[in-house]
Amino acid sequence: MEAILRVTRGLAAPFDLSTMLGEVVSAAKQVLGAERGSVWLYDAAANELVLEVATGIKPIRVPSGTGIVGACARERVIINVPDCYADPRFDPSVDKASGYRTRSLLTLPLVDHKDSLVGVMQVLNKRAGPFDAYDEALATALAAQCAVALQRVRMTAALIEGERMRQALEMARVVQMSTLPTTMPAVPSYDVGAMFEPAELTGGDTYDLALVDERLLVVLGDATGHGIAPALSVTQMHAMLRMAFRLGADLETAFVQVNDRLAETLADDRFITAFIGLLDPATHELTFHSGGQGPVFVYRAATKTFERYKPTSFPLGAMRVTALRPATKVQLLPGDILVLVSDGVYEYENASGEAFGEARVQQLVAKVHAGSMADLVAGLMNDVRTFASSAKQEDDITAVFVKRLPENRRTAEFARHFTAIPELVAFSAGAFAELGIDPSLGPTVDLAVEELFTNMVKYGAGSTAPVGLTLAAIAGGVEVTLVDRDVEPFDITRSPDVDIDAPIEKREPGGLGLHLIRKLAESVTYTYAQERRESRISLRFTGSGRTSGSR
Amino acid sequence: MLAIEYRQDGAVVLAGRLDASQAEAAQAFLDKVQGTVTLDCNGLEYISSAGLGVLLKTQKRLLAAAGKLRLVGLKPHLRDIFTYSGFDQLFEIESAS
Repeated sequence: MEAILRVTRGLAAPFDLSTMLGEVVSAAKQVLGAERGSVWLYDAAANELVLEVATGIKPIRVPSGTGIVGACARERVIINVPDCYADPRFDPSVDKASGYRTRSLLTLPLVDHKDSLVGVMQVLNKRAGPFDAYDEALATALAAQCAVALQRVRMTAALIEGERMRQALEMARVVQMSTLPTTMPAVPSYDVGAMFEPAELTGGDTYDLALVDERLLVVLGDATGHGIAPALSVTQMHAMLRMAFRLGADLETAFVQVNDRLAETLADDRFITAFIGLLDPATHELTFHSGGQGPVFVYRAATKTFERYKPTSFPLGAMRVTALRPATKVQLLPGDILVLVSDGVYEYENASGEAFGEARVQQLVAKVHAGSMADLVAGLMNDVRTFASSAKQEDDITAVFVKRLPENRRTAEFARHFTAIPELVAFSAGAFAELGIDPSLGPTVDLAVEELFTNMVKYGAGSTAPVGLTLAAIAGGVEVTLVDRDVEPFDITRSPDVDIDAPIEKREPGGLGLHLIRKLAESVTYTYAQERRESRISLRFTGSGRTSGSR
Repeated sequence: MLAIEYRQDGAVVLAGRLDASQAEAAQAFLDKVQGTVTLDCNGLEYISSAGLGVLLKTQKRLLAAAGKLRLVGLKPHLRDIFTYSGFDQLFEIESAS
């Protein structure tokens, strides 16, 4: 019993199989006074017994059921054979392989706590005669300990393998995420937003937003399935597209070449639905091919409606393209939004089996279209999470939004005469309303515009050109620009300040207007273009500036 | 547009916008006032430096003859303009209650 307890303690320590089996075998030999010992592991998948460790013998596999080991495994009983060569079940091939002669043999099943066979332990050639009943009892106790230790080692190995797999997936996710844009590209007159939320560690979706030669590349792709294989496919497509466009390929060539390359490499039952578009921010024309990716929506700000565009081709990689329909062209107008959302959103089901659907996406876009696309992305994710509640995310969620910013400015020209002042005031009031500028800035802007305009009338008498006025909505306020042509330069930022504390007899009205502008405006800039003899004055007013305006 | 007229008690009522396009008309009216004159600004919505110039010229003329302008009912955003320009030091101002 003392020996068993020592063995038990010894078995608690090792975590790898060979050390553990070595411990068992040496313990058995010692406790039972035997010459040799071996442990056969049961390979359930192959239904074979594998001799992993035996002192002096190389690994051997035998079909479960062969020989005494097989009989023990099948019947799960202890078998005590005093003279092997007298027992018909004995298979001498192991002796032949090892050159060792087995005389007496004690064979025990190793059964774990779930009553499954994990292996067979054999102890060979007791030095003092055959194994007796006391040896059987000792060996049975040892076998029970061995089975538990063996099970623990196997579970540990499975955990380690699982952890290796998890780490490999984590790496794959890092690689996939590194291909996505880290920041949204800055495109004049456009606001873009995107997100990618994989259902598993890696996903079968991808997107891209990148400026390539003055054009915005817009991609949303969705490979069949999710997990590591489709993640590799979409990442490959993503990289090929970037490369193709960087090398100057046109949309058709890139689409066909990437499709054909994917058709060659993807498994026969795999494909990628993808929207691939190029937007020219100068002409506001979006040209795209969609390989089975839909729905493609464009929100029209003017009519507050959605246009739906069909795919131009089958999914990428499904087969080679022999004839490609022309790309779809869409003219984006101020305030319009391209809406690309993967089916992981549309088909996301809540607990009662209802899908998120297209209507909820459209309602959200229509509701928050005036806000930033980053807010739209966050709003969509929030709506989806709220809708899904406890329902698990089954598919990757990807969204790309591209908005042409609404016109933020109004420009008009005015006759160079004091009588135009009411027209200036009326124009400003209209621009404030149309551009949604804080109306409390109105009186301040009127004052600034009038002061600058009257200066231009007074001092630009030699010019017959009208005076240009532009009002532009900016964050929290308005930018006012006056353009005065055919005039000499006059930098208002350099004009001397007025001494407002002077006694009344020293006070004159002159210079007071510019003084007030400097007091009221957050910033004043002056530029003069010599070739056009043009003065341009820009003022910024925001609620946070020094203006107090009207209440 | 600007409206400028006498009230029955002799005060001058200013209403609307006193901008550069209205300054000439306002000046012509105020050139005729004498003594200590109350300007009722309750209806005044806007004033620019051109308007301030009209008031300054009038104030100088009246002060020389021991008279003055008294401004009453000035709206807060116009009061700010007077402060920024230092004109609050040149006129007796009684703000809108």
